[in-house]
Amino acid sequence: MSKINKSKEEFGHINRHYWEWPIASYLFLGGCGGGAMFLASILAFFVFPGGAQSALVQGALAWPIFLSIVFLALGCVLLVGELGQPLVFIRAFVKSTSVIAWGARLLTVAMIFAVIWFASFIPWDWFLPVANFLVPFREFCLALAGIAGIGVVLYTGIMLSSLKAHSFWATPALPILFTISALSTACALIALSFGWWPMDPVFYTVNESNANDFFTAWRVYGNAEAGLLYTAYHVMNEALHLLHTLDVILVACEVVVLLVMVLSFLGAGNKCANAVAHKWVHGGKWAFGFWFGMIFAGLLLPEAMYVFWSETAASTVVAPVLVLCGGLLLRFMIVYSDERAPLPGEKIYYGRLVSYKADFLHKWKYGENLF
Amino acid sequence: MTRYCMVIDQRRCIGCHSCSVACRVWNDVPEDLIYNPVLSTGVEGEWPNVHRNWLPTLCMHCEKPACVPQCPTGASQQDADGTVWIEYDKCMACKVCVNACPYGMRDQSKLQPRLHQFIRKCTFCRDKRKMDPDAQPYCVATCHQKARIFGDLDDPNSEVSKLINSVETVRLLEDLNTGPQIYYIPALGGTR
Repeated sequence: MSKINKSKEEFGHINRHYWEWPIASYLFLGGCGGGAMFLASILAFFVFPGGAQSALVQGALAWPIFLSIVFLALGCVLLVGELGQPLVFIRAFVKSTSVIAWGARLLTVAMIFAVIWFASFIPWDWFLPVANFLVPFREFCLALAGIAGIGVVLYTGIMLSSLKAHSFWATPALPILFTISALSTACALIALSFGWWPMDPVFYTVNESNANDFFTAWRVYGNAEAGLLYTAYHVMNEALHLLHTLDVILVACEVVVLLVMVLSFLGAGNKCANAVAHKWVHGGKWAFGFWFGMIFAGLLLPEAMYVFWSETAASTVVAPVLVLCGGLLLRFMIVYSDERAPLPGEKIYYGRLVSYKADFLHKWKYGENLF
Repeated sequence: MTRYCMVIDQRRCIGCHSCSVACRVWNDVPEDLIYNPVLSTGVEGEWPNVHRNWLPTLCMHCEKPACVPQCPTGASQQDADGTVWIEYDKCMACKVCVNACPYGMRDQSKLQPRLHQFIRKCTFCRDKRKMDPDAQPYCVATCHQKARIFGDLDDPNSEVSKLINSVETVRLLEDLNTGPQIYYIPALGGTR
């Protein structure tokens, strides 16, 4: 008798989350990684086009792309580990029409081409023949990785919003929210790691105080190396400034879309979506996570840091980290809001069942009751 | 063409759960799953005008199922006769179909080994019907009140088409546009 009425978490669909933290983390990692690949290709091809400039920016983007590959790989590990049969995950590539199958393919394409692209930047001596062989394919690989990356970003939101059983997910606002959030976290990731290894360390010798010396050396003595360093310093500064500006815009858009989605559900959703929105806006720790965690600490505070404390550690380090944490929290709260409208009496029915661990259920072994 | 459907007469159901038991016994359902729960919202009304409605459920075998197009492996599929079923050898238990079903009629047993799990659901007793095309699902065959009636909707002389054409029926969550093929005759409904 002791196990009766304790079964709510163990038994029945209505009380059980089928997708838990691995999926939520994957949605964040996939969005951030795919978005970083997309933004990197945009930066390299459209914002800083042309040979030397583009090559320089691509070199500075090598470490962000490496991090995004790590993100996608970690997300894949979580996804596969979460399956009921992890050893046969290859089955996901079979059918062409489902959203998840397309997502699996895009993920694979993005990772393969990003890895090839990154390999062409590795400066180890023994690896140089391979790296030099891969250099001509850089543009091609980065373009494909960028296209597949935005595909990964889009599919995470579209996949959730196509599950019409869950009223809180089945809204066109969700893919938009996920896309904006993914791009803003990707922006933060690139801004945090822009220009690290394997960028040539000599580029770090230029800073605010001596940039003019290099400029003078270039102008007066025609020193080509000094000129390159001076250009590098300015191009990278410009790129970082651009990333921060872009993040300001994206975070502002995200606040609007998030508030519109949640508050419209609160006002006009069906019964089930309404309950979830009510929980987000008014209910205990969920409201704390929404108002303080997501809206204040994840969006408004970094926005203020970007705008009012630019060029300090607050805008270069703290704000991007806060944006990343806010994106992760958003995915967790969305994935755990998987309420389904119950059939009449469904909650009562599953609430009264005994635990599946109850002894008397296991007196007969599985497969024994064949006639 | 054959289009299988089920009519559930809520006027006749007495809530004995025989259908759940028969399904469990004959289909060898794991202990922690139920393919066809018999739901009820409890006693309604005030004495002496009280009544209790029973809502026997099962997979709705929808015309446009929400689950089948979501399956990334092609394990979830729909036969030409409308039966939605899962090919266990293709399933990898990604649980997207469980999340896609608006009726909560798919589930994953926790009693399976960790590395070999799959999603299970009602199949209108597809295996039984493959052996004997005229056979009825176990829940229908066992219902002593004849509250569950199974048949071919495309055959104008079948009992189900006659019932659906003559009595007012309702379907669950019809606004989701999945076209569920389980028709309920409400307990307090009238003839058309």
